Amino acid sequence: MQATMSKADARRLKKLKLKAARRDQYKRFTRSKGGNFFYTLFLILFGLFSILPMYYCIITSLKPLDELLVFPPRFYVISPTFESYLTLPSLLDNLAVPLSRYAFNSIFISVATTFLHVLVGSAAAYVLAKTNIPGKKVIFAIVQMSLLYNAYTLEIPRYLIYSALGMIDTYWAYILPMIPSSMGVFLMKQFMDTNVPDALIEAAKIDGAGSFRTFWQIAMPNVKPAWLTLTLFSFRDLWSIQPAGTIFSEELKTLPFAASTIAQSGIARQGCAMAVTVIMMIPPILVYLVTQGSVTQTMSSSGIK
Amino acid sequence: MKNDENKVVDTNNTEEKKPSLSEILKAEEAELKAKKKAEKAKKKGKVAYDINGNIIPDLNVKHVRGIESKKSWYGFYFVLPWIIGMILFFLIPLISSLTYAFSDVVPEDGYMETTWVGMENYKFIFQNDDTYQLNLLSSIGDFFTQMPIIIIVSLILALILNSNFKGRTFFRGVFFVPVIVATGVVMGLLTQSYGGNGAIIQLSSSISTDAYSVVGTGGGMDFSELLNSLELPEEITAQLNIMITDIFNTIWTCGIPVVLFIAGLQTIPSQLYEASKVEGATAWEEFWYITLPSIGQTLLLVIIFTLIELLTKADNPIINQAYDQIKNVEYGLSSAMLWLFFAIIGAITGLIILIFTKTCLKRWE
Repeated sequence: MQATMSKADARRLKKLKLKAARRDQYKRFTRSKGGNFFYTLFLILFGLFSILPMYYCIITSLKPLDELLVFPPRFYVISPTFESYLTLPSLLDNLAVPLSRYAFNSIFISVATTFLHVLVGSAAAYVLAKTNIPGKKVIFAIVQMSLLYNAYTLEIPRYLIYSALGMIDTYWAYILPMIPSSMGVFLMKQFMDTNVPDALIEAAKIDGAGSFRTFWQIAMPNVKPAWLTLTLFSFRDLWSIQPAGTIFSEELKTLPFAASTIAQSGIARQGCAMAVTVIMMIPPILVYLVTQGSVTQTMSSSGIK
Repeated sequence: MKNDENKVVDTNNTEEKKPSLSEILKAEEAELKAKKKAEKAKKKGKVAYDINGNIIPDLNVKHVRGIESKKSWYGFYFVLPWIIGMILFFLIPLISSLTYAFSDVVPEDGYMETTWVGMENYKFIFQNDDTYQLNLLSSIGDFFTQMPIIIIVSLILALILNSNFKGRTFFRGVFFVPVIVATGVVMGLLTQSYGGNGAIIQLSSSISTDAYSVVGTGGGMDFSELLNSLELPEEITAQLNIMITDIFNTIWTCGIPVVLFIAGLQTIPSQLYEASKVEGATAWEEFWYITLPSIGQTLLLVIIFTLIELLTKADNPIINQAYDQIKNVEYGLSSAMLWLFFAIIGAITGLIILIFTKTCLKRWE
């Protein structure tokens, strides 16, 4: 039979196989056609809902003044302009501090605190998950408990501590309280428990790696998705941080403060408000691209298989 | 010579004579005592001796002396920064706020003047304020209805977004970026949550709460306005408004659980799926026997995270009520309100963790 197959048939067969292979490559979660349809619908519908406000915001920031005042608001822009962006600096003239200072504060605080938070949190999580220090259980109980208390309960006594430590009206008031936030420890410990095998750590120790080296070169690469996710969350929270009674100097305030000042300046400034919102969106998106881009890559599976 | 003879006789005697019952009992008792002693000593970390003064070797104890024990103390340097921060910014404030809950608090210059009043604050809350109890019930009820929906929707989304299909990266972006971007002021500006009575979406950390009050006319999307402009009958508009708000709430709360789930899904070794494929498992079986058990820890994490998000978000009625009390300089009352609320949350969380680890995690191991 094989011998009788013509060249054209062989080519067709090859094509079919290729097609099947390609289809396999992009196999979705379910295999049935109905399931595929349902999931596609789910994705598109939910996706639309989730992206719409952002899309509208970008469109609004590009609208000229006469289009801004149209009712009902349009979902498209006829003659896009960057006017709103260009008038931003002049809007803050009466604030004594240039917009760049707010931006610098925000970036500095977010980056420094995120780095310290991830480092301190993972180090603590590593010890809690992988070593036998005395009092381990008590510490983890405190971690779990502290997750449930939000800042309101502690706001007033915390303020007293800030003032006792002389942290009021300094960068420390932003940075220090956020470092020991227990979300990081909790998240990292959950991932380290399952994803850093004890045997791997033992092997590293036998090979002569010190505690820090074991943590930094063995444990951390194994939970890369976890700490990248933590970085993203931490940055996201810190980027939107606004001083609540702890910062009074204008030159220490953050971008969200400037953004809300602009937003208060009336309906005619809608374009500017949206422009500053767009600017505020950029850094978290960059962090997202960097962190999630590498999360989707294959995990480091070196070591034990 | 004589001595030797005696010894021989002695041994002969003991061999011949059967040990009496009392002697056996005595011996057993001594053995038990020695065992107990050894256990006690083990707890204290000391070496135990038997009746003859020999060291009882304890085979169950790992020998943690020497380098190993030094290393385990070395671990303290790893936790130390975190512990210091925790004591300063969590434990000390926690204890003082607990004392506030049972005291009359008067702010002085740099410190708080507290007078112990026992349960007076709670009596006041429950006798003079009906809203507190209603708020308590409603926020806990909301939590139990929203939690399963959020977990299921975000798990489905995570599974879809983690599978291989064309445009996966794009869709991930579509779902995450708005959630990651929209916190605090940006959120307020985007949805104009205080501008109109449209989509009220709040998913922010507590720090940025003040953002909402200052966002006036942001110019973001206002759904009620858009719906009104469609000129549908009023009832339909109202219904649509509620529906849209609900969907928005769900999607935007799902963002973080989805990210967490995907991080968890990424860590499942692909060999497991290959093996299941070889065995001929269906997608459904694959999910129940491989995916779900493998992300057990992540699931617990997501449950706790969702719980915290739902119960401590800025629009929680209890928190708002307590915050009003702070503004009225009634620190004692506000602390009392929050402490009761968080005691309840703590109990719920503890119960969930307990049930989850005892049933699901154990079975999945």
